[in-house]
Amino acid sequence: MSDQSTPGEVIRVDGVTKAYQSDALPALADVSMGVAAGEVVAVMGPSGSGKSTLLNLIAGLDRPTAGTVTVAGRRIDTLGESALARFRARHVGIIFQFFNLLDDLTVEDNVLLPAQLAGASRRQARARAGELLEQMGIASFRDSYPARMSGGQRQRVAIARALVNSPEVLLADEPTGALDTATGQEIGRLLRSLAAGGQTLVLVTHDPEMAARYAARVVHIVDGRLAGAGVGALR
Amino acid sequence: MSRSLVSWFGPVRTATGGLLRHKVQAIVIGMVLLVSTASATLGLALLASGNAPFQHAFAAQNGADLAVTVNPAHATAAQLDATRALHGITAAAGPFAEATVQTQQGGQPFGQLTLAGRASPGGRVDDAVLTDGHWPDAPGQVVLDNASGNGGLNVGNTLTITGRPGARSLTVVGFANSVTDTADGWVVPAEIGDLQAPGTPPSAQLLYRFASAGSAAQVRADLAEVTGALPPGTVTGSYPWQSAESQTTSNGAIMEPFVVAFALIGLAMAVLIVANVVSGAVVAGYHRIGVLKSIGLTPAQVVVAYLSRVGLPALAGCVAGVVAGNVLAIPVLRQSAEAYGVGQQLVPLWASVLAPAGLLALTMLAAFGPALRAGRLSATQAIAAGRAPATGRGYAVHRLMARLRLPRPVGLGLAAPFARPARTAVSLAAIAFGATAVIFAFGLHSSLGRAAAAQTLSATVPVEIQADGPGTGAGPGQFPDAGQDAAVTAALRAQPGTAQQTTVYQNGVKVPGLPGSVNAWAFGGGSSWLGYGVIAGHWSDAPGQVDVNTAFLTASGLSVGDTATVDTGTAQVTVHIAGEVFYPDSTPTVFGSTRTLPGLATTANLSQWDVNLRPGTSTDGYVQAVNNALGGRSPWAATTHKDGGKFYSIAVGLIGTLSLMVGIAAGLGVLNTVLMTTRDRVHDLGVFKALGMRPGQVLTMVVCWIAVPAVIAGAIAAPAAVALNSATVRAMAGTAHTGVPASFTQVFPPSRLALLALAALVIAAAGALAPASWAARARPVVALRTE
Repeated sequence: MSDQSTPGEVIRVDGVTKAYQSDALPALADVSMGVAAGEVVAVMGPSGSGKSTLLNLIAGLDRPTAGTVTVAGRRIDTLGESALARFRARHVGIIFQFFNLLDDLTVEDNVLLPAQLAGASRRQARARAGELLEQMGIASFRDSYPARMSGGQRQRVAIARALVNSPEVLLADEPTGALDTATGQEIGRLLRSLAAGGQTLVLVTHDPEMAARYAARVVHIVDGRLAGAGVGALR
Repeated sequence: MSRSLVSWFGPVRTATGGLLRHKVQAIVIGMVLLVSTASATLGLALLASGNAPFQHAFAAQNGADLAVTVNPAHATAAQLDATRALHGITAAAGPFAEATVQTQQGGQPFGQLTLAGRASPGGRVDDAVLTDGHWPDAPGQVVLDNASGNGGLNVGNTLTITGRPGARSLTVVGFANSVTDTADGWVVPAEIGDLQAPGTPPSAQLLYRFASAGSAAQVRADLAEVTGALPPGTVTGSYPWQSAESQTTSNGAIMEPFVVAFALIGLAMAVLIVANVVSGAVVAGYHRIGVLKSIGLTPAQVVVAYLSRVGLPALAGCVAGVVAGNVLAIPVLRQSAEAYGVGQQLVPLWASVLAPAGLLALTMLAAFGPALRAGRLSATQAIAAGRAPATGRGYAVHRLMARLRLPRPVGLGLAAPFARPARTAVSLAAIAFGATAVIFAFGLHSSLGRAAAAQTLSATVPVEIQADGPGTGAGPGQFPDAGQDAAVTAALRAQPGTAQQTTVYQNGVKVPGLPGSVNAWAFGGGSSWLGYGVIAGHWSDAPGQVDVNTAFLTASGLSVGDTATVDTGTAQVTVHIAGEVFYPDSTPTVFGSTRTLPGLATTANLSQWDVNLRPGTSTDGYVQAVNNALGGRSPWAATTHKDGGKFYSIAVGLIGTLSLMVGIAAGLGVLNTVLMTTRDRVHDLGVFKALGMRPGQVLTMVVCWIAVPAVIAGAIAAPAAVALNSATVRAMAGTAHTGVPASFTQVFPPSRLALLALAALVIAAAGALAPASWAARARPVVALRTE
């Protein structure tokens, strides 16, 4: 598998097109962009513009119809399902708008899950989970179930889960979309602190203020095409 | 259809969304109903065919109430003909001239056959059914009776007639059934004279049906009337219909208990699986119904929507099932028909209607409850209902599994069933029923094998020397002389392959207190090696001891350990009943040595020699050597022992078919459960995949969903199957008028039972594999979008 990215880039998307139906307009059309290591990039656009599709392709949750996707030095659009799952577990952390926590697992077990699936040692995984729960300020909820927690607390659990394997790339799809303004700002500050620590972050949002405040670079997508780029506050 | 009706059904059609939207569930419903209906149809057909088969065949073939053998030299044709007009006779046929001949096939003795000369198979009495080939239309042709067994012969084979001057042969041109076994075969009437051995008296058979012949006493009275109408000495023998019945019905009745057992298992499975499928379909559709109710669907339309969604695939499954049941029944009923001597048996129309109608009604009944519940729910309740397991269920188990050092997908899978306890219980029950059927089938197969071996003694007596079976040469009324008998004993002793041999004498004896004649078998040498299955007590090991069959104890009221008086005709002796042996016959029977039963060891009573061979001795080679030593003119001939016969082959085939069907139904039940759970948890599966769960890990997790129920089901199924097998074998034995040795039901050593209990895991894994594969293959982004 060759490295298609330029030096310093941890994500490289080249000429990517994604069509869900052959007779309909593609969700993404000939998109190319790169993300440098440690960079925070916000992907903005109206609903249905293709920003979540782009995130899914970078995460390896979906495959492009055309073009190449290279993440952490590996071209992932040609990987098989097992290799792709293994890649996601080790190199990518995903934060969802609606948290996607597993209700029947405790907070700690939710956080531990990606580490266990990746085959990490039990002791190391527990230590890392404990460290992240402390960092997220939810250590006291270790044995709680997600259904009994607030939205902000749940999203903190989701972030801890996304970080447990220390991924090169953190992907966040509308991470504050299901939260009230104050809680959203808390999560935003948390993401910024992660970015400050050198974590590469791709943030999908339709909130210009959030993009401007937390991203170093803003990429606009309209109707599946890159419509331009801007500079965020982290620059 | 009126406009208002169309507008009423429009939303219903929209609500169901068409079958194609739920094709997997429709297929599962259809398949379960197909298997259940086919099983029910087959079961009903077998019960119908097993219900008084002899009576049905007897009525269909105008069976002879009485077959009378006469010496036509003692009466004129007019006198014989005049018996047709006797009081109480409703139909008569004959006289058919008959001859008893000795035969060989391929140079080997084939046996003694009684051949009757008949121009056609049909008639007002004993309407023989041709099952293969054609009726003889020229000399040199013979049709053989199926009841006496084909002996490996096919149409076109040739039988050589021995024991008479000049070479003569008969070509087998067909096979037929005579329900009253009036002959072993039929030739054209003109041929009988040529077949008769020189010096033997002429013989003919007269066949009668009477207005009153329901009991043995009535038949005896009928015989007395016929005998009295003819000159003395004319009647030389008779064969009442009861004798023919006892030869056939006991085997058929034996099958009923296990057919009933399988039918009950199948029915319970069908109820469980259908209810589970329907409830699952209802729950899965709540959200859609809730949405449609919110825009105006009425409760009645909701109920109809559900019933139609379930009813159409169910109807298709039932129709396909009844066709499959009929197709499956053909070979089984054909075997059964041959065993009963019935020309053809079909699935009765009522069975083909009752099975699908009953299961369809059952399905709709199972659907009606959940559908009514859905109809009564408010729109918001319907939208919320059935989306996820109740909060808190199974959480503790998940927590426990997370603490165990199990691979995470395994722990997640093992904990999953506890989130849906009701659904898990249904799956567990389905697997338990399926595994019970499989273990039961294996057990019954072993039990029947032991019964066959004990009944036929085929394992311990590989060779018999017979006079009145295949390979003899004595004519009717003639017996081998003492010199010929001694030659057999000498020949057996001379064979190096002979391990044990004993002479076997048989005759009727009288036991005071028992009506009629008691069948007595007396052994001229050691007999403990013969291998009769001992039910209670022990095999006689000292003079004065006898063993008896269950019918003897039942009829006499005696028990093992009691004494009985036996009148052998020449002596009256008191015997000690040492044991009860497995000998499935309604006739009381006593077994003892010739010293214990004096007077039986006569040339006339000598029935056969039973022979056991030394290890490594070729049975065929031994038979050939003995026959060569005896020579072609000996009235005795060695034969290999017959196997268990048609009954056992029918039973084994039937057990296999039924257990396979029940197993498939159980697997489909599991498939449905796992499918429903997969759909419930499709979003979680997407999350697992997004977090890095590989397809193999997903497969493992989903298969583990069903592992705990399967293990519990196996633990339940094993003892249940053992109990069911014991009960069924005893019930089968009861219909055959016998008890059973304990060894017949002790067919499950712990290691074998443990291995068989794995059937539960196999059924569960087979049912779970397909939905697990679908879950493993699903793209994470698709699963995540599915809410």
